[in-house]
Amino acid sequence: MFEVKNLTKIYDDGTVALRDVSFEVADGEFLIIIGLSGSGKSTLLRCINRLIEPTEGQIVWDGVDITAAEPSQLRQIRRQIGMVFQLFNLVKRSTVLTNVLSGRLGYVNPWASLLHRFPAENREMARQALERVGIADQAHKRADELSGGQQQRVGIARALMQQPRMILADEPVASLDPVLAHSILEHLEQLNQEEEITILCSLHYLDLVQQYATRVIGLRDGEIVYRGTREDIRAMTDEEFKEIYGQEAVRVGVGLREGGME
Amino acid sequence: MATRTTRQELQPSLVSPPVAGVASLLIPGLGQVLARQLQRGLLLLGALITSIGLFAWRVSLLASREVGAIAKLAKALDRRPAFVIPILASLIVLWLWIAWDAYQQARPDRRGGLGVFAFVLVLFFALGWQISEINLYKMVTELSDASGPLSRVVWPWAAAVTRDTEAVGAGADVLSPCDDQPPPPPPEEIPGQPYLVADPTCGDLATRDENLAEVLGTALALVGRGFAPNTETQILWADPIGNEFRMRKEGEYLVLQTDDEGAFEIEVTMPYRLIPPSSKGRQIHRIEARQTSEVGGLLPSDALRHNIEKMVETIVLGMMATIFGIVFAIPVSFLAARNLMSGSSVTMVLYFITRTILNIIRSIEPLIWAILAITVVGLGPFAGIIALTVHSIAALGKLYSESIESIDPGPIEAIQATGATRLQTIMYAVVPQMIPPFVSFSIYRWDVNVRMSTVIGLVGGGGIGFLLTQYIRLLDYRSAGIAVWFIAITVATLDYVSADIRQRFV
Repeated sequence: MFEVKNLTKIYDDGTVALRDVSFEVADGEFLIIIGLSGSGKSTLLRCINRLIEPTEGQIVWDGVDITAAEPSQLRQIRRQIGMVFQLFNLVKRSTVLTNVLSGRLGYVNPWASLLHRFPAENREMARQALERVGIADQAHKRADELSGGQQQRVGIARALMQQPRMILADEPVASLDPVLAHSILEHLEQLNQEEEITILCSLHYLDLVQQYATRVIGLRDGEIVYRGTREDIRAMTDEEFKEIYGQEAVRVGVGLREGGME
Repeated sequence: MATRTTRQELQPSLVSPPVAGVASLLIPGLGQVLARQLQRGLLLLGALITSIGLFAWRVSLLASREVGAIAKLAKALDRRPAFVIPILASLIVLWLWIAWDAYQQARPDRRGGLGVFAFVLVLFFALGWQISEINLYKMVTELSDASGPLSRVVWPWAAAVTRDTEAVGAGADVLSPCDDQPPPPPPEEIPGQPYLVADPTCGDLATRDENLAEVLGTALALVGRGFAPNTETQILWADPIGNEFRMRKEGEYLVLQTDDEGAFEIEVTMPYRLIPPSSKGRQIHRIEARQTSEVGGLLPSDALRHNIEKMVETIVLGMMATIFGIVFAIPVSFLAARNLMSGSSVTMVLYFITRTILNIIRSIEPLIWAILAITVVGLGPFAGIIALTVHSIAALGKLYSESIESIDPGPIEAIQATGATRLQTIMYAVVPQMIPPFVSFSIYRWDVNVRMSTVIGLVGGGGIGFLLTQYIRLLDYRSAGIAVWFIAITVATLDYVSADIRQRFV
């Protein structure tokens, strides 16, 4: 059980990114967070593993308060939470294998890792992770030689190396075309269903939300304005949609909605 | 600019066109001012005063001894009419043109003629030509005189090799001045060996009389036998303390050719030597005939060896300066990176101080740093290393800090999210991003430093530049040419290599 209680984030310049956000996520859920850019989705995800320090509120995971964790305890928590990014955030000049192995940094001996030494079983694990996302043959290429979709698979493989119980995905498909978007989300769905990894994912496209989410929350100006189940989101009306995306928003997913309903 | 604004405002002239013209004839620019063209009037007045001032300065330089403006002008006209007449005429034309311009500007349909400003530019160009002593005629006519030294610089390789020489010779003692004891006897002749006899064996050296006119020394009849036949032979004079020099006749080195039997006869006069008045005893000089011949294979000459040594020193100098520069620039660059220092006001102050110091250091040329360093550690490569190091720290500090500023924060975030420690994050997310620009800039700096170290020697900072200036001052253009070739080859090679390496890393 994962709980966010009264989370507030105010940046140094006074911007209120999150305002009193509370929600719960059961283990094994695929929670999708929707909202306009600037609505606080990225801040919310980064507060969970404290890449951004929350100003107020608590995040409790199986009884452990993440917001109160000491640095070493925080690293223990972080290594159980994989993260996937919109711009992949790979080290472009390093090889695919090194990028994937770096997902293991929270587990290995820190001094040995400085010399790029990893135990043999980690290398085998990396090979399996790459195989799982279908790019085992690219292991020795430089990360920036890969296409966008392939780079995001490396990102997922890196998260897999952490043997995570939860994956945070910050707009993982916003830089990819629709076909690739589906394939990446299918990978995440597979992890969610086969390994019961809880997934918190922010997304833009309603049709993708309708297809993959088990639960949805909507953010606007840092506040939760929508909570819905898989069935709710499938039945979502334009009014509700505008409630989340603002009055001026047009429903981008309209044409694709039928495809999502099939 | 002035014309446009007044046109827009459409302010009429205060006076009629003829009045404005006359006003500018009396005080150039006044007419324009009266026609409400203040900037134009001041600009033209300033231009006229400046060009008259420059002209007066050049005239007074041409006639520095004359007194009075008219006399100076007349003298200057006499000495350099091609300069004085056109400039004087141009100044008068400019004055009249300014008056004409005032007349035009005062008319209701004023036209902003730019011709007068173009004329001012031409006048300044003519004055500048004179002041900077440009002399194309000399450049062309004296090119042929320079062709000797230039051709030696362009193809200097004759000076790069040498051969061992072997000298055979014979000498005879000569006493100066003659005294009451018997003069030195002629040497004994050994058959088959070179033999030289001088007659007489005592005499007076050349001197100068009270009017500093040369008084020739005693004439000596030299007879040589037993030398190699048909071979060039030099005549040398050695004074009592063994200083040798080649004898001259009418300014030219004395060189003679032996006949078929290896013998020669020649008359020489005793040379001019300054003998210290305090010297005691009999002064026995020695005259020698010597034949030198080259033996053995080609050897690298001294010039070549020195150039190679100094070239190595130059490359090492540049390399050491680069290494020191990198070592010091890395910590400095962290202080000069805005993204790292924007945390608090204290670090921001540190950032601005570092940036300012780097900018000041960088704006001072390495040659000047070398001169400053020489005052501390003396002449030699160490001064050059200090100068280039100081400049490298500033240049690399700026380049490094800019590459730190442009680092992508995404991978840092991603590595942090895996539960990595701070050190691991730096190793896996920061260092891989830093290596390519660091390597690239460092190699580029090495390239720059070696290029700079070739000239740092000009002021005494070590390296091949030191040798180059020395050879040029000794008029040894061949040896200088070797240095020039070495510099060109090294710089071109390094340029290619560094571009190649940088391409691989980026």
